[in-house]
Amino acid sequence: MRGKRIAPILAGLGLLLTACGTANNGGSTATSSGAPIVFGAAVSLTGAQSKEGGLTKQGYDLWLDWINQKGGIVIGNVKHPVQIKYEDDQSEANLSATLVQKLITDEKAQFILGPYGSAATATDAIVAEKNSIPMVEANGAAQAIFNKGYKYTFGVLSPANKYLTGVIDMAATLSPKPTTLAMLAANDNFSVEVAKAVEDYAPSKGIQVVFSKQYPAAAPDVSGLVSQAKATNPDIVMNSGHLAEAIAINKAAKQLGLNAKIFAYSVGPSTPDFISALGPDANYVYDGSQWTPQVKYTPSFYLSVADYVKAYEQKYSSSEPPDYHVAESTAACLAFQKAIETAGSLDPGKVRDALASLDVMTFFGQIKFDSRGINIYKPMVVEQIQNGTHYTVFPASVANGKPQYPTPPWSSR
Amino acid sequence: MIAGETRLPRPIRIAVLAVGAIAMLYVLLAPLTSLDAAQSAGLPLLTDRLWFRIATTVAMFVVTASGWNIIGGLTGYASFGNIAFFGLGAYTVGVLVANQHWPFPLALLGAPVIAAAFGLIVGLALLRLRGHYFAVATLGVGVAVGEVVNNVPSLGASTGLFLPIVRSDLLFFYLMLGAALIAVLTTWVILRTRFGYGLLAIRENEEAAAVIGVNTTFYKVAAFCVAAALTGLAGGIFAQWNSFVNQENVFAVSDNVQIILMAVVGGAGTVLGPVAGAVVLELIIQTLAGGGTSSVYSQVGLGVLLMICVIFIPRGVIDFFGGRSRLSLGYLRQTLRETSA
Amino acid sequence: MSQFTQQVILGLLLGGIYVAVALGFSLVWGVLNIVNLAHGALVIVGSYLTWALFTRFHIDPFLSLPIDAGALFVLGYLLQRGVINHIIRAPLLFTFLLTFGLNLVLVSLLLLIFTADFRSVTPSYSGAGLHLAGVTIPYIRLAGLLVALVMAGILWAILNRTRVGAGILAVGADRDAAQLVGIDLRHLYAITFAVGAAFAGVAGGIISTFQSITPTAGDPYTLQAFAVVILGGLGRVSATVAGGLLFGLIEVLGQSLPGLGSGYANAIAFVVLVLVLVVRPRGLLGRLA
Repeated sequence: MRGKRIAPILAGLGLLLTACGTANNGGSTATSSGAPIVFGAAVSLTGAQSKEGGLTKQGYDLWLDWINQKGGIVIGNVKHPVQIKYEDDQSEANLSATLVQKLITDEKAQFILGPYGSAATATDAIVAEKNSIPMVEANGAAQAIFNKGYKYTFGVLSPANKYLTGVIDMAATLSPKPTTLAMLAANDNFSVEVAKAVEDYAPSKGIQVVFSKQYPAAAPDVSGLVSQAKATNPDIVMNSGHLAEAIAINKAAKQLGLNAKIFAYSVGPSTPDFISALGPDANYVYDGSQWTPQVKYTPSFYLSVADYVKAYEQKYSSSEPPDYHVAESTAACLAFQKAIETAGSLDPGKVRDALASLDVMTFFGQIKFDSRGINIYKPMVVEQIQNGTHYTVFPASVANGKPQYPTPPWSSR
Repeated sequence: MIAGETRLPRPIRIAVLAVGAIAMLYVLLAPLTSLDAAQSAGLPLLTDRLWFRIATTVAMFVVTASGWNIIGGLTGYASFGNIAFFGLGAYTVGVLVANQHWPFPLALLGAPVIAAAFGLIVGLALLRLRGHYFAVATLGVGVAVGEVVNNVPSLGASTGLFLPIVRSDLLFFYLMLGAALIAVLTTWVILRTRFGYGLLAIRENEEAAAVIGVNTTFYKVAAFCVAAALTGLAGGIFAQWNSFVNQENVFAVSDNVQIILMAVVGGAGTVLGPVAGAVVLELIIQTLAGGGTSSVYSQVGLGVLLMICVIFIPRGVIDFFGGRSRLSLGYLRQTLRETSA
Repeated sequence: MSQFTQQVILGLLLGGIYVAVALGFSLVWGVLNIVNLAHGALVIVGSYLTWALFTRFHIDPFLSLPIDAGALFVLGYLLQRGVINHIIRAPLLFTFLLTFGLNLVLVSLLLLIFTADFRSVTPSYSGAGLHLAGVTIPYIRLAGLLVALVMAGILWAILNRTRVGAGILAVGADRDAAQLVGIDLRHLYAITFAVGAAFAGVAGGIISTFQSITPTAGDPYTLQAFAVVILGGLGRVSATVAGGLLFGLIEVLGQSLPGLGSGYANAIAFVVLVLVLVVRPRGLLGRLA
């Protein structure tokens, strides 16, 4: 037994002694540097989703700096520095697919980091599948993507149907308990799933859906719908859409005097743009968030929540903490890192299997994929904007503030 | 030979034909080197997956640009809504394969049929409009069809339709290439028949054409249906190739304009113009798109390039290959004078 | 019943915005035969300008409208004189393609200058409104409608009561004859486009108060300008006003049709558009063009 063990130990020592002694912090034993690992990412740097695409890239880059500062991903005893090659898909799903293929074929990307948005994710997932290259995405929550049995796509974020159900859970704990709900949804694949989940779930908590309508995703004006919603006197007003519509609906609600006890929007309120665009009108708005800086997860590797926020604020000279789009993108990188280290290889099939059986706690929460490839194990949290700052208000275990309920009418603000 | 065409001197013609033949041979045979059988036989790999993707995309635009050319270039009715046919073709295949579980080849036959049928209805209604009214009406149709489809649950609504993945780049490349050949051949044949002369006559002067006995309504609608069928065929192939169909990727307004741009920049009204336009423009777009994080500058560049093409080469790139014109300062000055204030 | 009245009022208010956006578009198309696909981009330039003045110098958005007009007038003049004039005598299709390229350039430049961040203008009075008989009329939108109507009036006055306007109409009617009587075509083309751009800028200024501004936010407005021009017709200011108000009504009422999902609103609007073209191509009030 002993004899069999000595050889690898001697070999390891030998490597240690002959290595060039790359500086590293912490007691890592791997010291030799291997070939770089190349990741590819087609994100929206221009076009209608350039803002959100930019946030995605920030998340990827934050991890990139950290991992390269440590020397790279460790496989066996070798550290492999990491490269992320970016392409701009101009917010067009078809272009995204071609660019992912280009990243794989031309730029030799060994793994793919996901794009922004469910439409591009759906298209890119097919390319990943055809090339048998794992893709981990963090910004496409539509479950339809994961119901197709693709083996090579994994989503670290909670699926669309969980986005606003947390707000309903929170509403059920408040008093006087709200009883009616108006749902406005953009008719794109993500928003429709969010809305449907709310409509299915609300009655089980004693909340009746009194209004539910969709608007075309590029609608010029939503005031007509807001006015219709107002006529039904809802206690809760929800919007499922993206940032532009969230801003438009909030403005319309103020202009038309739609007063509700709870305003909750999926996507939108978590971004700093929401507050800067609306000013004081942004207060009291809730949103379902994949992650907030107040969550209390204890990570098993990478930075803690507080350190992550600090790293973000430092790198991007920001006075605002990162919003969840940044955090979830970083989480995708973490999933890959852990999977590669566990698999101990860069073989796409082995990494894919390692991803499928991954179960790890990070600053973002638990990363574990169900059999379809989406992370149903991480809960969503509810945030509220109070006095121009985000507070996590639900669930109580991670809350750093109490919901300011009910929302005062517009005229008395 | 078409009236007005001039011939290049013989040696140049032979050279051009030779180059063209070699290019065609490469396009037809090189992909076969990607087969496992070919690899084990020791053939060098001449094409890779990215090549396939781009080549298939170029072929797709050859089909749609040629389709547009038939109604816009030959007949003079610039349609701004051909994307509707592409999308309908794609959704036909999508619905038949994903929902009704038809085999793909059967479903593909349905695509041009449905598209042409829709073209018939729309054509009969809209082809009595002229100039900019026809253009905007077709634009309206293009947008409206996409919007309707995005809401109908049985068509997948906003989620879209997922087709089973078919893992064969080769199949779709040859299919799309076949469609491109059909499209170019169709244009070539049309231009050599009475039908083609009738269309050209309509383009030059519709009243005069009617006077000399051309059944303008029939000819126009027929041309529109042919355009619709070709575009629908491309859409049908695309649906299975992409394995995913929704409003965003088959009713894209940007693709709509791209089709027209390719036909015009290549040379509207000619047989090979759309081919040249599709190849040149798509390659430029793909090259510029791969600019990584500096893509914004590429887009500014693309916009400027397009403007220059439209201003200085309105008859299209193909003009330089017919022996009629040569790219020179004099040529540029002349086109400018023709269209400037 | 008051719900229906509310919807009608909202439709008219929205229509006001459409009128503002479409006035410039319709002028350029009717007189110069230019379909300006970059129109939406010009509108957004106006929005950004108002936003910049609001955040930097705290100028009220409605007070910044004349500045928007002036700045875009200059921009429009330069664009027409320098670029678009070169294809003015080409078939309509070419103006379409040229302005498509122009739009690409403008949007990309806006992205470079202003980044993709969402901007918005929220003056202190943005929530106030008129409340009577169960119906709410937000002041800011009412002001938008009024400004649009004033703009229409100004355009009408320019076209029918000034020498420049007479020149513009002359050029639109018969450009060779206009040249024969001594009108400098190049200059007048540029003036026309500049006026169109100026109106686009003002529309952008109004829009900034209730929509968020991003570089790509202008594209939907170009599409809607198309619709307004088709519905109302070319050749007359009143046609654009009628078309704009009607289109606003169709969009809003389309969202409240019972039975059909409200997601069909856009589809309904464009089907109406096509029907209008089939049945009455010159629109409600257009002159036969």
